[in-house]
Amino acid sequence: MDIVAVLIFVAALGVIAFEWVHRTKAALVGAGLVVLIGVIELDTAIDAVDWSTLGLLIGMMILVGLSERTGIFTYLALRTAQLSDGRPVRLIFLLAGATGLASAFLDNLTAILLVVPITLLLADILRISPIPLVLVEVIASNIGGTATLIGDPPNIMIGTAVPELTFNDFIVNLAPVALVTLAVVTAVLYFAFRRQLVVSPERVAELERLDPARDVRESRYVKRSIAVLLGTIVAFFLHAPLHIEPAVVALGGATILLLVASDDVEDALERVEWSTIFFFLGLFVMVGALEERGVIGEIADWLAEATGSTAGQGMAILWGAAAGSALVDNIPFTAAMIPVVQELQADDEVFQDGLWWALALGACFGGNATLIAAAANVAAAGVLERSGQPISFGRFLAVGLPVTLLSLVIATVYLLLFQL
Amino acid sequence: MRVVSDIELVPASVRRSATFLEAAEALVSHPVTTIAVLDDDGRVVGLFADSDLLKGLFPRYLAELRHTAFAEDDADALAARARAVATDPVEKHMHDPIVLDESSSAIHAAERFLHCDLGALPVTRDGRFVGMLGRAELCRAVLARTET
Repeated sequence: MDIVAVLIFVAALGVIAFEWVHRTKAALVGAGLVVLIGVIELDTAIDAVDWSTLGLLIGMMILVGLSERTGIFTYLALRTAQLSDGRPVRLIFLLAGATGLASAFLDNLTAILLVVPITLLLADILRISPIPLVLVEVIASNIGGTATLIGDPPNIMIGTAVPELTFNDFIVNLAPVALVTLAVVTAVLYFAFRRQLVVSPERVAELERLDPARDVRESRYVKRSIAVLLGTIVAFFLHAPLHIEPAVVALGGATILLLVASDDVEDALERVEWSTIFFFLGLFVMVGALEERGVIGEIADWLAEATGSTAGQGMAILWGAAAGSALVDNIPFTAAMIPVVQELQADDEVFQDGLWWALALGACFGGNATLIAAAANVAAAGVLERSGQPISFGRFLAVGLPVTLLSLVIATVYLLLFQL
Repeated sequence: MRVVSDIELVPASVRRSATFLEAAEALVSHPVTTIAVLDDDGRVVGLFADSDLLKGLFPRYLAELRHTAFAEDDADALAARARAVATDPVEKHMHDPIVLDESSSAIHAAERFLHCDLGALPVTRDGRFVGMLGRAELCRAVLARTET
């Protein structure tokens, strides 16, 4: 049965990596098989699902979906572009900074779905190709999302699986390295793309003539949505002293917003990306089967023997998570690695967080390597495809892989100096 | 009541070899919001609707946006886009076909309309195109029957 659990998981990863079927179908078929074949009992499979992660994701999707209807995110994106005065250096740094910040406090998948369509309109106004700007935004979203517990799906999974790690722990330990990495990577991307982003003065004047607040003025519930969104973010900072789980904060914020700023519950719940939720559900069951069969324990033992010291383990996790994320997708890879790191720490008398930061940095930064490595990349590619301006796997790789290697070098230095 | 028994159908169609511009001209010259795209045997292979016209003439990313009150028209860009799609084959822009047989009931036709975003649907006899049935014509026929 051990080998069956491994084969089903590897087959599901392969199907996801080659995009033979939708990733949610692959995860649900894998989960169904491990239960039907008897690799894992149904009760154990249900226990293996991390309901807190699902709750956090659903809460944030409702919160951001309802807030988005007010037009505040469009306003911020347009205002950011206007502040650039059409100068490439300012345009790239402002868009990267705004996307990174939005990713950190909304989650990067949502941030990308909000910012990419408006970027296509901006590029049309400025008469430049949208591809460099979208690439900058996707990369910034994966790096910015690394900074917080809610910023990127791998961090959400780690944060909910490890109760010792609070929202503030993520910010203190990951935000500085994410900020430095974002600055360095954005500078590199500026030099790579600066010639493609030259804008004529007439187009800059056209951009500056637009009134970005017009949509916000025409929307209902603007003040209430902003208040609840900011209140939820403040509650994330306070969740540890208040002894409230992050999932409860997100679902609480979503419920309050549903009460005060939504006339149609059905419409609000349509904002939830149910395919993503069921993808997670299937993954948790497959990984639960690997745990149940002792496969995870064996991987952890092998890793401990092969690497020896904590620093060696941290480096193996950082670079291994990045490689795994690049080849498959950082969500299933993180789902599989979380119990491995838990096993590695099982005998430790004192909780050490360094390995968790290595996993978060590897999975999140690794998400930039290929087009399929992170949910945000797939979402951006989908928007570009539907808009008739598709980006190829190779073109993304040509930018994403060097950026990932650079990010991992920065993460390596940071981890060795401060965490391991 | 059968669909075509007392409703006048609109013979609005283009061949699958038509361009986007030819389909657009056929669409705006008929009193329906959707026309049929036919193969050489007169079978319906697709539908070209006003929504397809809209998507062809305007940037496709608009469907991803919900807030564009700030946006202003760029006449040059719109004209360039219209010129670019004019020679596209209509097949690149059309919907998959949804077809009503002429023996279909009004109830079935109404159900089809309620589950698609098309203003008119093609009616066929023995698999070949007869004409387009519009939503308004269907409703008008039902109301007329009620009055009599």
